[in-house]
Amino acid sequence: MAFDAGEVARALERLDEQEGDSVVTSVRVPQGLRRAASVLQEAGLLSSWNDLLVQGARDRLETIVHRAGLDAHYADHPELRPPVAEVALALARMDASELADQPEIVEQAAEELTAVRPDATADDVLTYATALLAHRSAA
Amino acid sequence: MSSTPPATVILDSGAVTALSDVHHPKHRALLPYLEGAAQRRARKPSQRILVPVAVRIEAGWDCTDPAAAVANRVSGARDVPLTGEAADKAARIAAATGVSVVDATVGEAAGAAPKPVVILSSDVEDMGKLAERLSGDIRLVRV
Repeated sequence: MAFDAGEVARALERLDEQEGDSVVTSVRVPQGLRRAASVLQEAGLLSSWNDLLVQGARDRLETIVHRAGLDAHYADHPELRPPVAEVALALARMDASELADQPEIVEQAAEELTAVRPDATADDVLTYATALLAHRSAA
Repeated sequence: MSSTPPATVILDSGAVTALSDVHHPKHRALLPYLEGAAQRRARKPSQRILVPVAVRIEAGWDCTDPAAAVANRVSGARDVPLTGEAADKAARIAAATGVSVVDATVGEAAGAAPKPVVILSSDVEDMGKLAERLSGDIRLVRV
């Protein structure tokens, strides 16, 4: 479903305004969740129940917007969808992993893993590549 | 060498410029990083992608402009506002390193963000000066 990612982003940025508008809304919350939050608040580990809900909702909304935005981009430009091996290598670089310097192992891991698990994620590939690297080092 | 997923990913001006235009030579190269970040955020939504507001200005990224639709939807980024306190820190970083004002705000954002931080950048040299100045696990990734 199409949506304006900029409009969502602008709405979320208003959360940073000190005097931003707010609305009172009614949310049904499981008692266990409310109780757990109360315990953490009493222990000083949580500022407020309201902050927990707002920040949690914001993080989740941003995650959904990002996923939907990328999927829409790939739908418009299928040639731009990165193969899982490239995504895994990008993660290895961001993780400062030694696999960042072993692209051939990451490529091999992606090829072997997706042959049996076509829906493997980039982190799945990195886990497999780590095992391949350990096996190679031990041999 | 540590191997820990970043808690924060920050985009610099070069990265934003490349993201904004599907025909930019580095647009394709950036997408694996954002795709990887998006996959991880699905499991851990507290991982963040940030863009200092000065970066948006330099890159001409106006979220309300229809021309910004690509950056809006693929970046997944949250603004880092430039407060007075942040401006003071950025000014000190700029004075100490000689980097541009905008790059100094990237450094300030990196210093304040949950670590590890990854800065996706096309200018590793200037960003390297920043990383030397800042404490904590801040990684530069060239795109």
